Amino acid sequence: MAAEVKAQASSSSGQRSFTEVLRTVFGPVGQLILFIVGSALALSLVVVLLALLQIGARPDILTRALTILPQVIIDGLVRGFLFASIALGYTMVYGVLEFINFAHGEIFMVGGVVGAAVSLFLASSGLLAGMPGLLFVILVIAVGMVVSGALAVTVERVAYRPLRGAPRLVPLISAIGVSLVLQDLMRLMMTNTPLGFNARFNTPDFGPPIRLFEMNLGARPVPVILPPKALIFIVASVLMLIALNYLVNATRLGKAIRATAQDMPTASLMGINVNQIVALTFLIGGALGGAAGALFGLNVGTVNPYMGFIPGLKAFTAAVLGGIGNITGAMVGGVVLGFLEAFVASYLSLFTNGAFSGAAYADIAAFSILILILIFRPSGLLGEATTQKV
Amino acid sequence: MHLLDAQNITKTFGGLTAVNDVTLTIEKGRIVSVIGPNGAGKTTFFNILTGIYKPDKGTILFDGKPIAGLRSDVIAALGMRRTFQNIRLFNNMTVLENVLVGMHTHLHAPFWQILVRSPGVRREEAKARERARERLAYVGLDAKRDELAKNLPYGDQRRLEIARALAGEPKLILLDEPTAGMNPQETDAATELIRRLRDELGLTVVLIEHDMRLVMAISERISVLDYGTKIAEGDAATIRSNPRVIEAYLGKGAAGAAA
Amino acid sequence: MTTTASSVSAWERIKTALTSGPSGYGFMVLYAAVCSWLLLTNPRTNLNTDIVFVLFLLLVLLVYRSQLVLGFKLALVAVMLALVLPIFGTLNPFYIDVATQAGIFIALALGLNVVVGFAGLLDLGYVAFFAVGAYLWGILSTPQITLINPAWSPVPPIMFYPFILIGLAVGAFFGVLLGLPVLRLRGDYLAIVTLGLGEVIRVLANNLDRPINITNGSQGIRDIERPPLIFAGFVRDTLGWQLSDQQLYQQFFYFAILLIVLLVVVVVGRLKGSRIGRAWEAIREDETAAIAQGIPLVRMKLLAFAVGASFAGAMGVVFASKQLFINPPTFDLLRSINILSMVILGGMGSIPGVIFGAVLVTLLDLQILPRIANVLRDAQRAGLPIPAAFDPTQYQRLLFGLLLILMMIFRPQGIMPDERRKEELQEHDSIPDAIEHAKIPDTESEVGLK
Repeated sequence: MAAEVKAQASSSSGQRSFTEVLRTVFGPVGQLILFIVGSALALSLVVVLLALLQIGARPDILTRALTILPQVIIDGLVRGFLFASIALGYTMVYGVLEFINFAHGEIFMVGGVVGAAVSLFLASSGLLAGMPGLLFVILVIAVGMVVSGALAVTVERVAYRPLRGAPRLVPLISAIGVSLVLQDLMRLMMTNTPLGFNARFNTPDFGPPIRLFEMNLGARPVPVILPPKALIFIVASVLMLIALNYLVNATRLGKAIRATAQDMPTASLMGINVNQIVALTFLIGGALGGAAGALFGLNVGTVNPYMGFIPGLKAFTAAVLGGIGNITGAMVGGVVLGFLEAFVASYLSLFTNGAFSGAAYADIAAFSILILILIFRPSGLLGEATTQKV
Repeated sequence: MHLLDAQNITKTFGGLTAVNDVTLTIEKGRIVSVIGPNGAGKTTFFNILTGIYKPDKGTILFDGKPIAGLRSDVIAALGMRRTFQNIRLFNNMTVLENVLVGMHTHLHAPFWQILVRSPGVRREEAKARERARERLAYVGLDAKRDELAKNLPYGDQRRLEIARALAGEPKLILLDEPTAGMNPQETDAATELIRRLRDELGLTVVLIEHDMRLVMAISERISVLDYGTKIAEGDAATIRSNPRVIEAYLGKGAAGAAA
Repeated sequence: MTTTASSVSAWERIKTALTSGPSGYGFMVLYAAVCSWLLLTNPRTNLNTDIVFVLFLLLVLLVYRSQLVLGFKLALVAVMLALVLPIFGTLNPFYIDVATQAGIFIALALGLNVVVGFAGLLDLGYVAFFAVGAYLWGILSTPQITLINPAWSPVPPIMFYPFILIGLAVGAFFGVLLGLPVLRLRGDYLAIVTLGLGEVIRVLANNLDRPINITNGSQGIRDIERPPLIFAGFVRDTLGWQLSDQQLYQQFFYFAILLIVLLVVVVVGRLKGSRIGRAWEAIREDETAAIAQGIPLVRMKLLAFAVGASFAGAMGVVFASKQLFINPPTFDLLRSINILSMVILGGMGSIPGVIFGAVLVTLLDLQILPRIANVLRDAQRAGLPIPAAFDPTQYQRLLFGLLLILMMIFRPQGIMPDERRKEELQEHDSIPDAIEHAKIPDTESEVGLK
């Protein structure tokens, strides 16, 4: 509260100290880092404990568990930032309209497909091979952001705005419709162009994997490697999250968004053009989703029109986990969920001796978390106390 | 014996104490008013009595049974019914159906008998309809029984809410601002109806009301809340002359009524 | 409006003449006779038969909406659905299969309508209960059961009949099991959570082939048992119809599902008109006010969930037996959305509306889209610029997605919304009054959802 009042006072005078900006922008990032380290440590501890419990029957299990641990953590980070960047779109729209934008997963998907189209164009015109990696990354992200952002705004205008003020489930059903329409429209476009249903996402050579360090476990040292694409994903996501924090917490526009989220009628009386702010919220959320889609495609190597649905659902879970409507919460929720999923996916099979496949049950784990959170702590991890509604 | 005995009720929301150590006892067959300025905690108090909120502290005995912390529907089934300040009818149901919903706790047809529509079910349903129409006739709405609730004029909606509450055969009926937004004629009719509820049906009535003319005319006892605390209690004359009440409320109220 | 008054009244006059009085009876009988004659004399699968078939089904709707004596209506519909259509089915297996599928979806949509339309709870994982029923019969009637425990053996096919009831009970059980933790949630959260639960059931079906093979994973379950043809002797010897086993099964499932649909319609109608239906509607309209009338919220919501799930469970048993084969993709989210579209298209809460929606969507799915696909293929061969990879039957998401959006924006109450006062107005027996009321347009786009 106090911080907000102070921020208001300083911005009305037009002056804003540099350290203050740093604090509002990097404060949430600090919180995020706290949760990253915390959940990585906690889950690693659980893994070690589980391994020790089974060590009598399977002597090699601790070594096996530890061998893959760094890779699981990197995987968790990538998944976490993926969910976080999609979850932001859900949470911003929810903060302003109290509406679950069910089609947001498809906005993410479109970003990936557009990125693949750019890479296909570059590859077929022979530009791709000689292109600097950084330029390529910036290009696909930018194109993904523009197209997805524009699409999100269009969808809002066409399918949601006419329903504003209707009972809560009416726009939700419309959003489900939008989600299905976008899936099939993209499929129609992809299957009738050289992209194809499973479009390859070609990239320039980003160089060899980075060897971070070596672990001395048992017979041979195990190298811990960071694939360059994963590094790109993590760095780009962190930069976007910081930029979003700056936009929402340290600019006039951000203040207008926060005011609209607090109280739409009052914001409108204060001279804020609410329709514009809603469109802006969709634009920002859509652009972030599009960037995430492009990064995801780049990281995975292929995209398809149905790839947005499940990550969309999980990102919604992440938004709820962090406390829906809360921007920092969405990031934290995304990262925590990402770690959890990575650990379940990698270790379930190991600890049940192959009886259960981790990849499939990771989905179930994610939905179980959604249900548990909604039942026992609907306000999410960050709760009411620090809730900063968009 | 007291029909309602609420002792030392306290409820806080975050840092705000909405109801602070309020005690209210009501004898059977009385008309009692709870008055106070806006935001004094009257509706919160009603919400605590009817189980929408759980009190942080205090006990409530209704007809001898402790009800604090029970679910709303259980309390309603015990015979405490209410109306809402901002009319909450089932808008897309007919007037008759609204009253039938009010009778829910008195209909016991088992699930499987409903499926085969046994004679027992048909009898119960016919009786319920008849009874519902009696209730509607009592408040003067029988002719409009097939209209959708949302299409009724405002005053009729208020009366329908009362008919729906009556359908539950309550012992105690809580009316939250039953004349808000009414013109003088409608208010008079409502006053008459409230009096009849007690005189003819033997109901105990608790009112939240801002219309001092109505409050003074029909209440046998008045409790005054201000900032969540009960500042006075007594009959109309006592309340009128109580300096704390005049300071907190009636001063402004009297001036408003005079104007 | 006033300038077109005469033409409107002319239209009204024609409508009245065709749907009431002696001319109405004549028209309906003639219509039915012509359609039946066309179907029975020309049973080949082609566009013309498609059109006649749709007109044939349309007649049921017309009869339902007409103002004729109830006995006549019932008799005409009975002749059409229980006599003409099955006989037509012996001549052409395609259309009776369409009708059977429509019947399955009518039952499912009516079940979902209890949850979504009556109680106002948006359930996006409804197909999970259908899957439970289908897997129940699929596993227990086939050697799949011996993979779970070699000591167990499949139940005999005649157990199909009691298993419809067991499917009902198991469906209801799962409805309560899944509903209990989530029914306290607010409407939009409930929608997402039920979607998640539906996915969980599908993922389980896909992966429970390890460590113990319960569902046979993505392979699905084959050779599911059908009940023995106990009536085959009667049909072939007594009636003298030489029908193949395949035809007899078609007839059997058609009639079985027709019967189930009738039962479901009766059950749903009775619930709707009872204290339970009113309580659901009250919850849908205003939860707080409903509790204040003594309605136990969670218990009534659970009941709605259980009733809806039980229909799906029972239909699952029948569906598995009819299809002979089930696998996880049969029960994906799209199927739930498909059923939801039927409810929304017809009109949430309206029993005739939902039946209409289910038939319309099934026809779209099985008849109209494939027909359009054919037309497009022909056009493409003729050199028109139609994208090569565009097959309308493969674009159901697009179709249902558009349908949901357009319905929400332009007609959220559905094509045939609930006409609650009709019954009571007919009691007064004053037709002009009834027309007067019927013509009041419901301008408010309210569908009791929150």
